[in-house]
Amino acid sequence: MNDLPNRARSISSLRDFLELLEDSGQAITWSDPVMPEPGVRNIAVAASRDANGAPAIVFDNITGYPGKRLAVGVHGSWDNIALLLGRPKGTTIRELFFEIAGRWGDQEAQISFVPEAQAPVHECRLEQDINLYDVLPVYRINEYDGGFYIGKASVASRDPLDPDNFGKQNVGIYRLQIQGPDSFTLMTIPSHDMGRQIMAAEREGVPLKIAVMLGNHPGLAVFAATPIGYEESEYSYASAMMGAPIRLTKSGNGIDILADSEIVIEAELQLGERELEGPFGEFPGSYSGVRKAPIFKVTAVSHRRDPIFENIYIGRGWTEHDTLIGLHTSAPIYAQLRQSFPEVTAVNALYQHGLTGIISVKNRMAGFAKTVALRALSTPHGVMYLKNLIMVDADVDPFDLNQVMWALSTRTRADDIIVLPNMPAVPIDPSAVIPGKGHRLIIDATSYLPPDPVGEAHLVTPPTGDEIDALSKRIREMQLGALS
Amino acid sequence: MTTTVCGRCKSSGAVTDHQGRQDGAVVWTILRCPTCNFSWRDSEPARAIDPAARSVDFAVDADDLQRYPKILQQ
Ligand SMILES: [Zn+2]
Repeated sequence: MNDLPNRARSISSLRDFLELLEDSGQAITWSDPVMPEPGVRNIAVAASRDANGAPAIVFDNITGYPGKRLAVGVHGSWDNIALLLGRPKGTTIRELFFEIAGRWGDQEAQISFVPEAQAPVHECRLEQDINLYDVLPVYRINEYDGGFYIGKASVASRDPLDPDNFGKQNVGIYRLQIQGPDSFTLMTIPSHDMGRQIMAAEREGVPLKIAVMLGNHPGLAVFAATPIGYEESEYSYASAMMGAPIRLTKSGNGIDILADSEIVIEAELQLGERELEGPFGEFPGSYSGVRKAPIFKVTAVSHRRDPIFENIYIGRGWTEHDTLIGLHTSAPIYAQLRQSFPEVTAVNALYQHGLTGIISVKNRMAGFAKTVALRALSTPHGVMYLKNLIMVDADVDPFDLNQVMWALSTRTRADDIIVLPNMPAVPIDPSAVIPGKGHRLIIDATSYLPPDPVGEAHLVTPPTGDEIDALSKRIREMQLGALS
Repeated sequence: MTTTVCGRCKSSGAVTDHQGRQDGAVVWTILRCPTCNFSWRDSEPARAIDPAARSVDFAVDADDLQRYPKILQQ
């Protein structure tokens, strides 16, 4: 298994990754007949109970969809994420976090272009009588969703006001609700790139064409899901973070897309039109409301032969959404904080896209952790998402909740909390009194420093470090070995 | 059994978008309500698609579609 890093770097498509997962016991094929509802949902939810080890599941016998394949849970466990990053199964979340954090600025992007005629994504092409239901084995993800959703789409678009600029192309993950055979609504907010582009196209009366990529290089969803600088191409960023080449080609409507994706849906915004969308079971574990959302008309579909439709279970956690975006939500906050405060030692923003975050920091002076927390609230992700922050010392692993609870139990006074009322808030936070505005909570669970009269307690110091980590893994292996 | 009454807003007139087949026989039908845009498969459990069994929390009032906000207003 020493070739894991090379094998990870050689992945160029979903198929490559599924093969790697299968070789590692991390992908299974579900060939028993299953009804789209509630069968697919039930199986996906049952799999996501095992956040550490759940396999991807490929369905190839969904009733009413003969010959069609559906994959869920591709990013559904830490073991799958580890393999994507070239690390063995059993790598800890903390190790995976530092794997990603260590890749920042490390590698150059390697982008190559494949002629359309040679791109696997264009093997089959539909340009008329398009019915998305003929192509995609869809199912209702949560039981009160307003329709059939495409939950893991990477949507590529050019800036409608600067269409020739490669860097201003946007790739983002948006939820799409199928609205009849050849239409879908797209949900976004004004601060997201796609929201900005839709508003610009409608204001100026210019067309907005998009390409919806499904079943993609598994690195794209991990690294393109979190906003980066608007001028940076998500493809270049994903390639640099994977340390691996990414192959692009053109969609029929002139957008740069991944050459090896399973399916691409080309579509055009219907300027000024809105259709009822939702509800949809979202990542906080609650349903969004019903709103009127922009609608796109499908102009063509390309796909590989025997395409695999990749989708996600999202809802009340733990779900694939959490393992998909958690580490790459945490790592940018870490990097941005360390620019001002090198005392920050790790950031865990795995919970509900960072609605709760835990930050470990070496206290420079009494109360210093609170200052760091306030800085976290002004990072790009913190502005909207970091609602509850727990600050712990550097001797506490923020990825180990038992240690975090120890810090809360022994290092927190009831007046060591700060409530910041009426701050910006992500609109789908179900606890908000008014959607889009809410309170922030900072809990300082770090130890006491002078001039505080209490000071640090005389701590028990159990052995820690690499040797103990290795012993812990060895014990687990011996335990597993005893079974076989 | 295929019904054209929407389980969510109780409007009639749903349109058929697709039929799933197995060995040549239709095994389910996907319908869509042109009033509230609810889409469903007639093989789904009753609590998702039958107006009598669905939770009223998720009903849509076909006479008051104005109440639903429009996103991305200039
Ligand atoms: Zn209806």
